[in-house]
Amino acid sequence: MKISRRDFLKWSVAAGVALNIEFDLANVNTVLAAETDPPIIWIQGAGCSGCTISTLNVTNPTTIDDVLLNKISMKYNSTIMTAAGDLAMQTLDQSATQYKGQFILVIEGAIPTGASGNYCIIGEFNGVPLTMQQAVLKYGPMAKYVVSAGTCASFGGVPASGANSTGCQSAKTILTGITTNPVVNLSGCPVHPTVLIQTLLDLILTGMPALDSNSRPTKYYSTIHSSCPRRGAQTGVPIGSATGCFRSVGCKGPSTQNVCPSMKWNNGQAWCIGVNYPCIGCSNPTFPTSPLI
Amino acid sequence: MSTIVLDPITRLEGHLKVSVTLDASNIVTAAEATGNLFRDFENMLIGRVPKDAAFLTQRICGVCPVSHAIASSKAVEAASGFTPNLQALLLRNLIQGANFISSNILHFYQLALMDYVQGPQMNPWTPGYSQDFKFNATDSQTLINNYVTALSIRRKAHEMGAIFGGKLPHVGNVVPGGVTAIPTSTDITNFRNYLNTITTFITNTYNADVNKLASTYSAYYTIGKGYGNLISYGVFDTNATGSKLFPAGTVTNGVASSFAATNIKEYVGHSWYTSPSGVNPASETTTPSFGKTGAYTWLKAPRYNGTPYEAGSLARTWISGDYKNGVSVMDRHMARYTETAKIAASMQTWLNQIVAGASAFTNLSAQASGSGIGLTEAPRGALGHWVSVATSKISKYQIVTPTCWNASPMDDAGNVGPIEKALIGTHVVDTTQPVELLRIVHSFDPCTGCSVHVMSPEGIEMSNFVVQPL
Repeated sequence: MKISRRDFLKWSVAAGVALNIEFDLANVNTVLAAETDPPIIWIQGAGCSGCTISTLNVTNPTTIDDVLLNKISMKYNSTIMTAAGDLAMQTLDQSATQYKGQFILVIEGAIPTGASGNYCIIGEFNGVPLTMQQAVLKYGPMAKYVVSAGTCASFGGVPASGANSTGCQSAKTILTGITTNPVVNLSGCPVHPTVLIQTLLDLILTGMPALDSNSRPTKYYSTIHSSCPRRGAQTGVPIGSATGCFRSVGCKGPSTQNVCPSMKWNNGQAWCIGVNYPCIGCSNPTFPTSPLI
Repeated sequence: MSTIVLDPITRLEGHLKVSVTLDASNIVTAAEATGNLFRDFENMLIGRVPKDAAFLTQRICGVCPVSHAIASSKAVEAASGFTPNLQALLLRNLIQGANFISSNILHFYQLALMDYVQGPQMNPWTPGYSQDFKFNATDSQTLINNYVTALSIRRKAHEMGAIFGGKLPHVGNVVPGGVTAIPTSTDITNFRNYLNTITTFITNTYNADVNKLASTYSAYYTIGKGYGNLISYGVFDTNATGSKLFPAGTVTNGVASSFAATNIKEYVGHSWYTSPSGVNPASETTTPSFGKTGAYTWLKAPRYNGTPYEAGSLARTWISGDYKNGVSVMDRHMARYTETAKIAASMQTWLNQIVAGASAFTNLSAQASGSGIGLTEAPRGALGHWVSVATSKISKYQIVTPTCWNASPMDDAGNVGPIEKALIGTHVVDTTQPVELLRIVHSFDPCTGCSVHVMSPEGIEMSNFVVQPL
């Protein structure tokens, strides 16, 4: 079922042309020369696996079976990988060492720094527990690119809210200044699957995308209210109304950037405002505000 | 005597470690399950408006968010004395049912199956153990092909749920007061088309594959029993007076009985807490103590009448009478299939009752004070939220999750948790490839993001923190 690397490049270039992406031919040649599909290491901290599950829901630019079988090499993701225990941890460390400077590190969940990082232990390596904080500090600088999948990794999100008693921090906060390239934030609770998968492919094929002031790719993060189909409609409608603008009941659409109005969610089936509830701003650096709306 | 430490247990949500002690014949004589992630969910809710909890508690677990939204909404509604209308209950059933189907299919194919069949020889399916593969080449290839198909079916189940829930994971509109979706006839047709496709997969492919697994690995009908005591809070309201597709109940030493939430108490003798032990969640407090002598996990130990109970699909199907063959690794898989088929069939009935254009939402005014309990089931078992409200804000919030039941530690009376009990007595053929342990743990479908209890970390002394010294 595995297609050749040349087929992957052909597919990728075609997709890139469709998206009007300019290719760096030297980079394409580097990808072609690599002995593996582009390696991805995906580690999870103080999160809920929702961003992994959301990624499994991808349909555009392709579906997850095609991604895993033909587009990337998922070296480590604790939710879907077969290996467990020592074998899993060895795979993590060996992959990072073998593909140092080549792999993409995807970080899901915030990074607890309280209690010396011991609020989240991702596994034992040679009998020694490895905290999420240690893992990020170890593997972040070894990666070619670091991607924060979701709002927790990007900004702290839910586990960093309120008193933030576990000292949760974003990947960017932990890693500023010590990575090869700036951390790319892909916020959203969860991350939108197209944003995640297409960004991985973009990084592999064209390198760093243009980022906004929150380190997010500008091509995905535009203000929800600006393209909301309810914009300009009657205001003052209550929560639950099938028509009208929710701005006066606290909708976060005017202050939130994401792809929701254009791509919607779950293969374009729906989105929050479409099912008559205001935007809660789940891709914002301030999420979750109190109250939410 | 030797020990095996599996950390991380992969192919589940969250961070779970299992340590076992083996005798000279490689029989497990002792087992400890450790939850390795601690967030501060219950405390982070305090001081918020009650309706926020339906959104925040979904973020406990990306695999079962809908059940958290429903438990939270029910708790806040109970505190207000409000019951949603039938359309709201049915929409919740359809969204929760879609997530159950997605989760159960994900569990069988993506989380459990790789313990029995060798996947494609590439990451993330390799490396892996090579121990005890029994399927012939044809069956192996069929199962791998169906693994790939299942990826799309579980995705479609989420797409189906999103039609009424807005998005998955983490729905946008299941809140105290009901569900804000107002289905159109197009939505209903769209939902039905998805449901038909998914039902065909369940009744043909999933059915055949789980039976193939059960017949090929029939020894697992006698492995991983644990206590055999089962508990369910009940799920899927079929009317506004409390009838449910899967009723609440308990099974104790094979005898079915009723369920009452007042019989639940949580014990912390072997958990990293010093708060009072043996307290009902309605009045429970939580004080952490890293490195407490004799403790080894962030999980508390919920007990019913002081006894450990297993939660999950098998508990639901046993109490409903749909599947009550036995308690074991393979019975859990069979029960999970059985309930998945039943839920899919019932969703057709519920969908037929949905009224196009009708509202399922009442905008509740914020109650000043009160308390309520919201009980439902997540795919992996009994889920309860306990809320107290004072001056229109959350003053206390307690959550007892299914994996708290299943992966709980030893309680104060010395009873180990259900997963720990299920591991004890197991023969590990090859201690370098303890696939038997993975099969037992995975059969419970644990979800430690859910299970990790939440507390204030004040007073933690890191110098006292000792990682489980096995």
